[in-house]
Amino acid sequence: MEESIKSHIRSHCVGTTAVVYASDYLNKLTGERIERECKKQLDSGARALVIDFSDTELVNSIGISILLGIIDIAEKIGALVVFSDVNDETVQLFDMLGLTRHVVLARDEQEALSGLSTPPTQTQAISH
Amino acid sequence: MSHNRHEEGRQILGRVKRDQFVGRVAELQRLVSHATQSGRLERAGHPVDRRGLLILLAPLAGVSELLRQAYDELFNKRESVPIYFALPQTEATAVSAAIEFLNTFLLQYIAFRRDEPSLCQLSLTLNDLVQLAPADDLPWIEELIEAYNLQRFGKDDRELVRFCLTAPNRVPSRNGRLYIFFDAVQLANYADSSVPLAAEIVRALVFSKLPFALAGLRREVLDAVGRAGGNFDSLDVLRLEPLGEEDARKLVVSAAHRHQVAINDETRDLLVQQLEGSPFFITAMLEAARENNLALESYLACERLYVDELMGGRLNRYFTSVLEHIAPEPETRAAVVRLLCEAVPTGNRTASFEAWRKRLKLDSVGVEQLLRALHIQELVNWDGETVDAAGASSVWKDYLRSRFRLDALREPRALVVADVMAEALKRAPQTIARHYRRVAGLRLRELLGEFNAQLVPKTLFDFAAFAARYKGATADEIAAGLDADTALLRLPQVFHTASGVSLSPELRQFGEESSVVARAFERGTYTDDNEIVWLVAKLNSKLEADRSLVETWCDRLAGLARQSGFIRTQLWLVANEGFSPEAIELLRERNAYGSSQQQFELLSARLSEGAGAPQQSDDANEFSLILPMGGDNELLAATIVEQVARRLNFSPEAINQIKTAIVEACINAAEHSLSPDRKIYQRFRVENDRLVITISSRGIVPPDIQGYLEEGPVEEIGRDESEDQAEQRRGWGLKLIRTLMDEVEFERVDEGTSLRMTKYLRKSAQ
Repeated sequence: MEESIKSHIRSHCVGTTAVVYASDYLNKLTGERIERECKKQLDSGARALVIDFSDTELVNSIGISILLGIIDIAEKIGALVVFSDVNDETVQLFDMLGLTRHVVLARDEQEALSGLSTPPTQTQAISH
Repeated sequence: MSHNRHEEGRQILGRVKRDQFVGRVAELQRLVSHATQSGRLERAGHPVDRRGLLILLAPLAGVSELLRQAYDELFNKRESVPIYFALPQTEATAVSAAIEFLNTFLLQYIAFRRDEPSLCQLSLTLNDLVQLAPADDLPWIEELIEAYNLQRFGKDDRELVRFCLTAPNRVPSRNGRLYIFFDAVQLANYADSSVPLAAEIVRALVFSKLPFALAGLRREVLDAVGRAGGNFDSLDVLRLEPLGEEDARKLVVSAAHRHQVAINDETRDLLVQQLEGSPFFITAMLEAARENNLALESYLACERLYVDELMGGRLNRYFTSVLEHIAPEPETRAAVVRLLCEAVPTGNRTASFEAWRKRLKLDSVGVEQLLRALHIQELVNWDGETVDAAGASSVWKDYLRSRFRLDALREPRALVVADVMAEALKRAPQTIARHYRRVAGLRLRELLGEFNAQLVPKTLFDFAAFAARYKGATADEIAAGLDADTALLRLPQVFHTASGVSLSPELRQFGEESSVVARAFERGTYTDDNEIVWLVAKLNSKLEADRSLVETWCDRLAGLARQSGFIRTQLWLVANEGFSPEAIELLRERNAYGSSQQQFELLSARLSEGAGAPQQSDDANEFSLILPMGGDNELLAATIVEQVARRLNFSPEAINQIKTAIVEACINAAEHSLSPDRKIYQRFRVENDRLVITISSRGIVPPDIQGYLEEGPVEEIGRDESEDQAEQRRGWGLKLIRTLMDEVEFERVDEGTSLRMTKYLRKSAQ
């Protein structure tokens, strides 16, 4: 069997923190890609996840349920999850569904990384 | 010039114009082709005598208009002289029917010879006909009428009948080649005649030199030909079943248009399903709608008319006439109704001849005649010993039940009418839902029927492997991955498929077509070792199927295999969203295949080319949009609504809320897995202070969907209950919509769902 299909999700690592970028529309397909990428990063030793929503304009309930799954997985192995650069409308939606009770929200990626107190030892592009 | 005129296609006997004749087009071509080519057919280079065509009709399948259309086409072609005769429904004797045949034959013959189609509609005496006969035909016609007058005053009725029926043989061959269309659907009405009319008709046609088409109820015609000693080898056969779905839809639309009766897609499909594709029932209903100036745009209107027709209209008259013919004595008739009515609902399908004899209080000959008549009309199946009343049409069963309550139980008519209508209304959505399930199930069966030793990627049967490789992948990526896959599975060659229910009736509770048994051979050789049975089930699960559901189905299918004595089997379960990890483990333990709906579709696409359903668009007064389900198409809807909302000066926040709501509504609509057209219908209505959006889809209404709107405020996610969480998600969409929009309600529709959402400008601006 071949290796897995490329996910086209942008991500990079800063120390033991993985930063994963969500696309403009968070639905089942893109949600699953983020999930796959996050799992991969956690399997590779990441201990914190920053999911960056700077490009995200719209999310749907299936995408949100996948995010919830990611939070679960991270929690089970003691990894932290931070959502960064989430627009106001999406924050409202996350609030509505109680998602914000389970994650930390950061204004941007930098604030997220600072908040996690991860020493910025190296930055490595993982995939594009 | 005259040739062109004929080619235009004059409407002579046809009751509808040629371009409005739908549903039996292929049969019409076959019939005309038989008429123009009979006697000139060849088989292996040798001429074959196939002058006769038997048209074997399922009850109520309808044939008269087909024959009339064929008549018109032949008349206009001017190659053969068509003669169409239908046994009258009201003539009581064989003699009068035969005389009528003679008159009709001469009238139509002269109309053709003079090329004056309008003559066919006239009622003329034999003397009138002699006056109209062309000079070239006058000698033989005068001779025929003289002989007829001698015969008419003889004492032998059978001779007279025979004389009349064989009259077309007297036409000199130089004057034209005749083709007889004999519509004998009413033959059963002549069973009591002193002359055996069925046998005489068959003899007159089969033993003459003229080509012909003889149409009648299949059981009766086959019996009559057999009794008359006809040689089946020299006869072609055309079987007419009730219309297929597509043709029945066309007929409903065409008849509704002709009668100017308003219908919609939902009622069209209801009429097709409920009336079981019978042209007679469909036409009768639409004619009745026209007479009563009714629109059939809701289930309620359809069922109201149906019950009216059943209790006192065309449907009632038809069944009453059949019943009165079968059992002329009121006492016997009442006993027959009781017997049939008792057999149908209890599932007590079969009864013995003796039991019928005792209940009917008739002698054996009387019971035999009665059962034979019921058998011919296919109201029962009678094999000489047992009587099976289960197979008749549901319209007949409705008639029977109402008749029983009115006549035998003497219940008030108002009560019966209301009850029948309530039952019909309750049954309507079930009928349609059952139809969609059957269609979905049929796809499973059809797919298995296409298994023919092809090589396909093994991952299509292994949900775990498929999910691991392709989760999050685009359609193109999946296609490319599957194309490059080197782990392949050789499908067996399937030679027979059957519904699981046909082998194990207890599976009926899960739906007629939820399971399929496919008999097959592996490795392309037909040996005991290679014989295998695929036992396949489609699991009814919105979410990933769990271990317990998979275990239950594995046990059921294994039980079916044991009962049926299958030695080598392969289980294959298909679940909409695939399987949970525990279920996957169990599938492995049982050596069973498991696929999601997506894998099933991919396999289906690989084995055959799919065809898309036609798209439609209407409504000029509103913005409307029809989108195919899936493929992120909800984003298109969101983009459009954004433009519309901007025009109304909604705030950016409100626009985003509307967009999210519409996305959720589209996702919700797409989750109706059995939507027949896989389309989402959207309407955006702009009013002064509000935007009203309606999202509709056809298909089955999810149970308790209204409940999601009626429950309390949107709930936060319960992350600890992983099983319930997924179940909860189904409700999130609707709850989100309710939170994001100002007003949300489900509009009442007969089929599927229609969600209306309103956002107020003032409210959102506050």
